[in-house]
Amino acid sequence: MNALGIIFSDIQDWNMTELASHRSVAAIPFGGRYRLIDFPLSNMVNSGINKVCVITKSNYRSLMEHIGSGKDWDLSRKKGGILIFPPYAVGDNHGLYQGRLDALKRVLDYIVNSKEKYVVLSDCDMIYDIDYRKVIKYHEEKNSDITALYTKTGINKSNSVHKILYKFDEEGRVSDVLVYPITEGTHNIGLNSWVMNKEFLEALIYDAIARNYKDFSYDVLAARVRSLRIYGYEYKGFFAHIDSLQSYYDNSMKLLNIETLQSIFYSKTGPIYTKRKDSTPTKYCKEAVVKNSLIASGCIIEGTVENSIIFRGVKIGKNAVVKNSIIMQHSTIGENAQLNSIITDTYAYVNNDRVLLGYANCPFFIKKNSIV
Amino acid sequence: MKLIKKECVVMLLAGGQGSRLGALTTKIAKPSVPFGGKYRIIDFPLSNCVNSNLDTIGVLTQYQPLTLNSYIGDGKSWDLDRMHGGIQILPPYQRVGDSEWYSGTANAIYQNMNFIDLYSPEYVLILSGDHIYKMDYSLMINYHKEKDADCTISVIEVPMEEASRFGILSSDEDGRITDFEEKPENPKSNQASMGIYVFKWDKLKKYLEIDENNPHSTNDFGKDVIPLMLKSNEKMYAYKFKGYWKDVGTIDSLWQANMDLLDKDGLDLSDDWVIYSRHAEKPPHYISKEALVKNSIISEGAVIFGTVENSIIFSGVTVGKNSYVKDSVIMADVEIKENTVINYAIIDEMVKIGSNLQIGEPIGDKSKITVIPRESVINSNEGVII
Repeated sequence: MNALGIIFSDIQDWNMTELASHRSVAAIPFGGRYRLIDFPLSNMVNSGINKVCVITKSNYRSLMEHIGSGKDWDLSRKKGGILIFPPYAVGDNHGLYQGRLDALKRVLDYIVNSKEKYVVLSDCDMIYDIDYRKVIKYHEEKNSDITALYTKTGINKSNSVHKILYKFDEEGRVSDVLVYPITEGTHNIGLNSWVMNKEFLEALIYDAIARNYKDFSYDVLAARVRSLRIYGYEYKGFFAHIDSLQSYYDNSMKLLNIETLQSIFYSKTGPIYTKRKDSTPTKYCKEAVVKNSLIASGCIIEGTVENSIIFRGVKIGKNAVVKNSIIMQHSTIGENAQLNSIITDTYAYVNNDRVLLGYANCPFFIKKNSIV
Repeated sequence: MKLIKKECVVMLLAGGQGSRLGALTTKIAKPSVPFGGKYRIIDFPLSNCVNSNLDTIGVLTQYQPLTLNSYIGDGKSWDLDRMHGGIQILPPYQRVGDSEWYSGTANAIYQNMNFIDLYSPEYVLILSGDHIYKMDYSLMINYHKEKDADCTISVIEVPMEEASRFGILSSDEDGRITDFEEKPENPKSNQASMGIYVFKWDKLKKYLEIDENNPHSTNDFGKDVIPLMLKSNEKMYAYKFKGYWKDVGTIDSLWQANMDLLDKDGLDLSDDWVIYSRHAEKPPHYISKEALVKNSIISEGAVIFGTVENSIIFSGVTVGKNSYVKDSVIMADVEIKENTVINYAIIDEMVKIGSNLQIGEPIGDKSKITVIPRESVINSNEGVII
């Protein structure tokens, strides 16, 4: 397809202090074997986009390891393919990016040199399944400057502050943009993804350089809502916004509904691609009891697992009981240990006989490499 | 055209039908028979090669090669998409005034001598795609060099009563082979050939040509080339291998090798000697509230609502509510509806099994493994191939 994908890997790092302390939001493990960036990347690849740049500013080792050459997303190409942009100094503009527009300024050459007609921008903190071909068609039909993806959903005062809200006139054109408001009720929530003509994006960046604009939401969407033709493209389907540890937990648990699971991973647009690991299939021992759980490969299960998500290469010891928990890759749960409502980050080690208890609306988090 | 020289070129014989696997190999060649939840048999020799730092491999195909060819692709799943070397599929081909199928294992190599010569190797390693094992071939090649052998054959101890099923070697104290008999009635030792040979390339070339010019030869390594070299008094050594090694040439042995994965003493797939494979992109498997899984291996993308015991479940398998799968191997993308009982069976890929059925009989002294071939649709108990 004639579009260039641009993914912002870590715009929302500040929301996710626990999970994004060692990594960018893009590299947060999700759903047993994925990282959050797999969802926007797969959306793009499944829409026929084969040139993608990933913009990152800090903590990007695990992101880079994950992406590698891009071949697991079919993005190791002669033409196009994937490219990661860590902070990049242009003239006196150096240091970390301050917002999407600032980041785009620094990859201006890459954008200018690309031959694609359209640009698709996306963040990494939301999960949804979109066919960008349809969005671009709509973009053409409306002759928009910017087409913003949104979904109708309920929000509350604590999570609205991480969202962009759109209001539309009768014709469907965006009439008002609220950036990170404190509000509640059902609203048109931005999916932090936009489609533009590449030439238009270039003009926006030139303008931002001249006026020292740094933030796409405030300085473009909100400030120029009246002068630009911004249209909304509604998405209906499973939507998850990972903007806090709690929402990470809640949205992970939604995967234990088989309909939800299949709507995400067996979608018509295509599978969710991720880095391949060649782990063995999971082994269930004679004593294993597993109920209502999502279990990745490479695990050895000797204990009880209920209502939980178990990532690749996890070991659950004899008589251990893991309930309502998320155990990330290569963690070990010792014999007789009991865990309820726990999130362990990767390579955590819970010793034998430990009892750890969180609560559904306050899951207890165990850091990467911790030994409990 | 001369390519960058390689010390050792691997030739993997993957053209056999594997007729003893019956319904499992009517549409695919034996090396592409699925194994262990996510693998195919050929993953074992290929991964062993890569892990032994052997990166130039010719795969000789002949029988039903489509699945195998598309499975291997450019070899990237085994890290064999290389600038120099890598994996090359070698089917029989037409020449000026002549074309012939591979008439035997030795003839298959004979017809591809030009491929080997591209790399001007010192050694050629011959492998087959019939066995499940982990082996560091580089140790065997080192042994071959130490002994300055013309041919080294890898051997494993088998129980004396089973020895007559194998090619049996006798060797002296130094390891030099003194006698070789293919499937002897009265075996002289229990050292069985594993069908793994290292040759000096110039020696092998010479004997392939002699063998090819012998109209009475069956052009087979075990039956013709090896005995001929031994008779000619070439330096031939036995390399003793210790470890798990299983021929999966029959339905029973394929079933058993799968079940061995559930056994603590069986092959450990999770150690550092990784077995690579190519597989579909699937989410983690899901085990429902009603499901029960005991002593089993379950692969990605499976969805289990019923009970699974002592079984190997491949990726994308669905086991419906109240269905019961016991002592079975269920290959990729099989769909089993509700209230169906499956006992002691191998269900090949993409089979659809309806509800309220009984397939297979429980394991017993007289019971036999039930095999359901690829893509069958089973809606009644009749017509099940046993």
